[in-house]
Parts: sequence; structure tokens; C-alpha cells
Amino acid sequence: MSPDILEDAMELWFGPQHVSAHGWATKLTLVGDYVVECDPNAGYFHRSAEKVLEYKNFRQGALILERMCMLEAFLAEYPYVAAVEKIAEIEVPERAKVMRTIMMEMSRLHSIQFWWGQFNAELGFFTMALWPWVDREYSLDAFEELTGSRHTVSYSTPGGVKYDFTEKSMKQLNRALDRFEDRLPKFRDMQMGSPTFRARTENIGLYDVKQGLKWGLSGPPMKACGIPMDLRKDDPDPNLAYDMVDWEVPITENPEHPGQSDALDRMEQRFAEAETACEIIKQLIPQIPEGPIIDPKARGKANRLPEGEAYARVEGTRGITTLWLKTQDKAQTAYRAKIRGPCIASYYALKDLVPGSKFADFIVIFGSLDPYPGWWDR
Amino acid sequence: MSDSSTTNASTFGRLVINKIPEVTSNPLGDNRIELVVPANKIRDVVTLIDEEIQDVLPESMFGVDLENDQYELIYIFWSYTSRLLLQLRVSLEGEKPEIESTCDIFPGLEWHEREVREMFGIEVKNHPDPRLLLLPDELDGAYPMRKRFQTDRSRLNETGITPPKPRPEPGGDSQ
Amino acid sequence: MLQFDFFAWLAGIPEWIYGIIQWIYGIVSFIFYWVYDLFRWIWATIFLPSNFMFLFRAIIFPGLIFVVMALIWAVWFTRKLWGRIQDRRGPVHLGKYGGLQLFADAIKLIAKETIIPDNARRWMFRFLPGLLLVVVLLPFAFIPWDLEYWFIADLSVSLVLVFAFLTAVPVISLLAGWVSGSKYSLIGGFRAANNQFAAEIPLIISTIGPALLAGSLSLMGIAAAQSSIWFAVLLPINLATFLVAAIASVGIFPFDAPVADSEIIFGWRTEFTGIHFTLTYFAEFAEQMLYSALIVTLFLGGPIGPLTGPLAGPVNFVLKFLITFFFFVLVSSSFQRLRQDQIVHYCWKYLLPLALLNIILIMLAIVYIPGIAALLPLGGG
Repeated sequence: MSPDILEDAMELWFGPQHVSAHGWATKLTLVGDYVVECDPNAGYFHRSAEKVLEYKNFRQGALILERMCMLEAFLAEYPYVAAVEKIAEIEVPERAKVMRTIMMEMSRLHSIQFWWGQFNAELGFFTMALWPWVDREYSLDAFEELTGSRHTVSYSTPGGVKYDFTEKSMKQLNRALDRFEDRLPKFRDMQMGSPTFRARTENIGLYDVKQGLKWGLSGPPMKACGIPMDLRKDDPDPNLAYDMVDWEVPITENPEHPGQSDALDRMEQRFAEAETACEIIKQLIPQIPEGPIIDPKARGKANRLPEGEAYARVEGTRGITTLWLKTQDKAQTAYRAKIRGPCIASYYALKDLVPGSKFADFIVIFGSLDPYPGWWDR
Repeated sequence: MSDSSTTNASTFGRLVINKIPEVTSNPLGDNRIELVVPANKIRDVVTLIDEEIQDVLPESMFGVDLENDQYELIYIFWSYTSRLLLQLRVSLEGEKPEIESTCDIFPGLEWHEREVREMFGIEVKNHPDPRLLLLPDELDGAYPMRKRFQTDRSRLNETGITPPKPRPEPGGDSQ
Repeated sequence: MLQFDFFAWLAGIPEWIYGIIQWIYGIVSFIFYWVYDLFRWIWATIFLPSNFMFLFRAIIFPGLIFVVMALIWAVWFTRKLWGRIQDRRGPVHLGKYGGLQLFADAIKLIAKETIIPDNARRWMFRFLPGLLLVVVLLPFAFIPWDLEYWFIADLSVSLVLVFAFLTAVPVISLLAGWVSGSKYSLIGGFRAANNQFAAEIPLIISTIGPALLAGSLSLMGIAAAQSSIWFAVLLPINLATFLVAAIASVGIFPFDAPVADSEIIFGWRTEFTGIHFTLTYFAEFAEQMLYSALIVTLFLGGPIGPLTGPLAGPVNFVLKFLITFFFFVLVSSSFQRLRQDQIVHYCWKYLLPLALLNIILIMLAIVYIPGIAALLPLGGG
């Protein structure tokens, strides 16, 4: 960057009071219409969850974790529960495993529906923003019927799940799925066939696999590059039932730039992810085994944990979501809990990805990576 | 290994130990391995990981306060083709321990290092951007994730945050 | 010797009183005649049938109040249609089908505190939103709602004048963004100028077609020239290019880069609150309406249409106006927002050649197809 270019530069704070910047702020340096420097700033959403977890017992902890990302609340709370189960050596009944998997995919589906609308709103297409949000209402209704809460479901607990499926909640779940599967192909046509959408997203925010790995990107932003990188297959959690389902890791390969992904690929990847989630739930619903939903001894075991360390990982909607838990002997609270949200990488990636692009494309790049501030601020 | 597409955990552990004998390994089972690395060798090990494993992802990096000025740093790397999870454990000691920055090898670790610095007071040497990441300026140097940082009101003066006004007496005049 | 003659003084009193009375009478009659003349003047200006009807037209029926009522209706219609398209209900609570919602919103916005940023130029900041609405409402005086009676003004160059007014709109937007003292407003202002830069040339080239065929630069003349055939039939591509360029010029979706809320908050309107925001918001809808009315005038035959009878002209015009406005809302709700460079790209690379192409085609058609020329006022010869 030669200094005489920067003489005309304008520093622009994108956030924290910007309508698109919900809990984050990025300092952009603009020369004309081009961004020459991008400085993502974190900390506007910081609630010191890791410190709070050191003061909460092992059944309360999951409730704190949900607040990291309300959109994928179940996926956010699950790593904590899994880590506690690993240290306490709690066995989970088969029925609870399947129900957890269904809920996890439902949570993923809801998060994608929300992201989809949000991304279209960021692109200035409110019709397409509100249509997926109508389907999202159905998913929320299913959550509400099952757990009594629309966003923060707090469904899993060490040893199993809290609520059993009823006939009515099953009906709501099927209703949400049927509606979404019915509308998905129509939406895909509308979205991918729209010339203005292609004009805005093609070759925007292009990066390759190597770059993405260096930043620590995972999940849909990497799978859009065409690599099947999915913890559901690669490192399956023993307390989830993905092995009962016949499914493929959804990937998107664009022949125009193999090994790279742009905003359009990432949108297509989200469609594939949503389809896979639907498929997994559809396959699991008839396979729900009979039995208890929670191990009766788990409550006692989760009260005091032995000394140990556990690292629980799960493939979130936005990428690898993990929790590292260390406990002391007969501990009632965690000694140290480290939350690794997927978005810390995708938000950091803006630093290298945005410079050189136009100012109007900044929000497209940001939206296509789908960062959620709760994940990096915690 | 660089020539084959997949890497086995124990083979990789042996390779690291052969090159850097100070490192000790500690299998975690299921193609997961823990390497206990001395603090002055962390850059060598991370460089080796970058060179030897093709698709390595810097998953996480964080500190643990073991009290009495004992700290641990944990680096976690993940390779999806070989399904290998690497956990590096670095023990640190002292009031303000120091560690070499590795974020020029893996840029994704930059923010984790900033967080470790502000939360635990572990000085990261040669870090390109040593600003605070999450904390407000008032808490600079307070290191809130250390165990001795109490979250009750006893340390309010130290944090520099204005304490909340005392409540008026019920029924009395609320001057 | 001068002596005080008491009796002479006594005899002078009536004369003195008479003088005072005369003086008072003079004042009173002066005021009376002044007021009388004033009333006569007012009577002659307003209540003489011919003048009265002119003022009635200018202020009430196709004039200001009608346009403002249509504006309120347009806002309601847009919100309702957007709602229906987006799987929502739109306004429902106030009045029948939410018809009174806009009044509630307007009262709320007007009653809100007007916040002027410290960095803003205060007087310009207060003045520009009002000026914008005035500039956008003025061209409605030249719209030919009717060919015989229900129009306000017929000027021989009204087409040019309308565009002269409309060119001021982005200038005011740019100024408004500039005086707001905010970076987002400034970017929005320049984007508004950029939009006009992209859209204006195809817009004006598209109007050349109708003006050429009618042989007139007056909107009335152009409307009257379509008595045998609507120009939409002869200039269909120009109609399309005018519609797209008009949307780009107004700066609504998908050409809403000047007020792109996900990028630059609300563009040049970011800092406006309360009444200032209301005025700019109304000005946007007034501009859409104005372009709809221009499309009806230039391409759809203006007041010439299916219905006949008393008031048929305005009714025809309004019917066509509704359909055109519906298309405005429809187009604006079905596309993603374009980047500014893409707006310029589309307008100059596609709209401009297309607009020119249609004019060339119709010229060739007039020369080589004898039937067409007979349909036009200057044709047959």
C-alpha cells in the first residue's frame, strides 16, 4: 500500500450501531469505493461465558452455552453436555441418542433458514428474506411444542434429553419438515436463477482451501470449496446417532474455480446442508427406539465429577463447535471451560478476505460466511 | 507425512520426537495424540505440524490457570483427511510468563493469542497486533480469567469500573 | 388691532366640527374603498367562475390535495402489496384494511423529536427535505390528467421542464448527505448522484421517442398525439427502458444503492428524523408516482382511453396510473439490490442502446410502412 493512496482514505466504522452489525464492529479503510484495509473488532458481545461456567454446576452450564448462539441453541449447548458425559462416564440411552440427533439437525435447519433470510436482507431482497422466515416459524413451533421454548430449547441434559416426543410435537415436526421440503426446490430456483443474485455473489469473497484452513475455517464455508470436511462423519460423537442414517456429506464443487468458493457456492452449500438435515431427520423419525429418554443415575453422577479433561466436538451449522472441559476431583463446577466457536475464524478471515473488494460487497462477504458474534465474543 | 495423504497419530508423534527430542507424547486414543512441548520449542513444533500435515486446521488455542503462577497453554490442531487430533500442551511458570507467537504460521491463531494475553497475562512475543480483543480498556492488566480474579464486588476498585450506586433507604429520603 | 372676538370664535365651531367630520369621513371612506377594492380583487381572482375553477384545479382536484391524497394512498398500497408479496399481511389494524395506518405513522413521525447532529449544517439540514418534496411535487402541475378541462398548466416545453425539476432531486440528495455530517450519509449522497448519472441518459433518450412521434415537447401535446394509437405499441422497448431507468432514478429496489440499509444504514437519509424523515420518505413515493404518471402520459395515451363521458379523462388516466404503479411495486419487490457499478453498467450498456434502437426502428418503420405514418399527427401529410 503506497502512502499516497492512503492519503485519500476514509476510515469507516461498520458497526457497532450499524443496522447490519448486530454486536460487532469492523473498521474499514476505503479508498474510493474500494476497501483497502479491514480491521474486524471483537468484544461488543462479550459476556465472559467461560468465567461464568466456572461458577455454574454441570446442569446449569448448558443453559449458558445456549446463549452463545440462539439460532443453533441445541448445537451450542450440546458440546458442554457431551464433555460432562465423557468425564462422568455417563451412558446415554438409545432413544435419547436418536432424539438428540433429530433435535440437532432441526436446530441446524432452523439456523440455515434464519441465515438464508438474513443474507437476502443483506442483499436487499426482502421478499426472499421473509419467505424462509415463514418456514422458520414452523420450525420454531416444533421447538415450542417439544421443549416449551422457541429459541433457547435447553433440551439435552447429562444422561439424555429432558422431554419426550409426544404425538403433537411429532406432528409439528413433520409439518415443519414437509413444508420446508415442499418449498425448498421452488426457493432454490428463485434464488439461483435470479440474475441479480448471481451478479452480486459470483466471484465475491473468493478463497481456496489452503487459505481457509490457515484461518481455521470449517463447516459450510469449507465444504463449499468441495472438500467433505464434516465432523458428523470424521469424528462422530458416540452419543449421537448419525451411524443409523445413510447419508453423504454435502459438498459444493464449482467447475469454474475448483478448490475455491465464492459467495454463490456458499449459498448453494447452505441449500445442500438444509436438504441433508431434512433427509437425516426423515430417516431417523421411523427409527426412534423405545426406552427411557434419560439415564436415571446420570443426575447423581453429574452432580460431582471426577478429575479429568474432555474435549467434545460437534459439527455446528457454521463449522466446528467444541468445548474443552477440565474438572478437579469431586468438582461441582468446571475448573476451566473453553468454548471454541466456529465464527471466530470466519470473522477473523474478513481481515484478509475483504481488502481489495468493493465496499458494497463487504456485507455480502460477511453474510456468506455467516458469522454470529456470540461465537467469537462468548 | 507429506507424501501420503493420511497421517497416523502415533507415527506423527514419533516423527516429532525424533526431530525435537524434548517433546514427549501422550496418546489419547482414537487417533488423538497429546504432545507435551517445552515453551521454547513451540514454534518448531508448530512449524513441523504445518510442514508435515497437509490439511491441518488450527482449531483452538487457550490457556489454563493452574494457580500458584502455573499456567498451561493448549493448542489443538485437526486434520480432516487423516482424522487426526493433535493437542499440544505447554507448561508455563511465573507471574507474567512468555510464549513465542505462532500466528505467522497459522493466522487463525492470532485472535486466540490475543485472548490468552488479555485473559491470562501470558505475554505473546512478536505478536503483530497486541491490542485487547474482548475486554474493555478498563480491564487491561486485570487478567480476568486467572483464578485469583474474583468476580464478587471485592475487586471492584481494582478493575476501575464504577461501582453501582448504593440503594436509597426504603422509606427514607433518597438523597 | 387684533382682538379676540368671542362671537366669531363661536360661529367658527360648526365649521371646525364639520372639518373634523370630513377628515374622519375621508379616512373611513379610504379604508372602505380599499377594503372594497380588495374584496373586489379577491372576488375577481378567486370567485369569478373561470379563475375559481383554475384555482380549484391547481389546489384541489388534479392539483396539490389530490396528489397528496394519492401519495398517501400510494404508500398504503406499496406497503400492502409488499406485505402480500412477502407472505405477510401488511398494515391491518387502523381503519379498513389498515388504510389509516399511514396517518398514524405520519402523526407519530411528525410528533417525534427532530434530532440534528452536531456536525450537520443546521439550516440546510432543515431546509433540504422540504425543498426536495416541493421539487418533486411541482412537476405534477404539467401532468395532463385530462385534455379538455381537468389539467393545470400546458406549457410548450413541459417535458423538458419536468426533467429539469427531476434533475435537481439527486443534487438535493447529495447536498442532504453532505450537510448531514455523517460518512454514511455522504456515501449515500454520492450513490444517489451516481444513480442519476447512470439512469438519466437512458431515461431522457427514452422520452425522445414519444416527443419525436408527437412532434411536441409538451406533455399535453404528446398525450393528445396518441388519439389513434398509443405509443406503447410503437415504442414497446422504450416503455421498458423508461420503466427500468425510472426505477433506477428513484432509487428503489433493486437500484436502491443510495439508501441500501444493510450497507450504509439509510444512505443520505441516515440522519433525518421525525418530520425531516417524513418529507424525504414522501418525496420518494411522490417521485415514483411522478414517473408512473409520466409513463402513462408518454406511452399509454394519457387520458385517452377506454372510458368516455364526463370526467372520463382523469378516470382513464388514474386507471392506467394504478396499473403502472403496481408494476413499480412489483419490480421493486422481486430483485436483489445491485451494486452501484453494476447499475451504471446495466443502464449504459443495455438500456441506452435499446432505447436508441427503438427510436431508429420506429423511424425506419415510418418511412417504409405507410400505414404507421397516418396514425401520427405529423405523419400522413
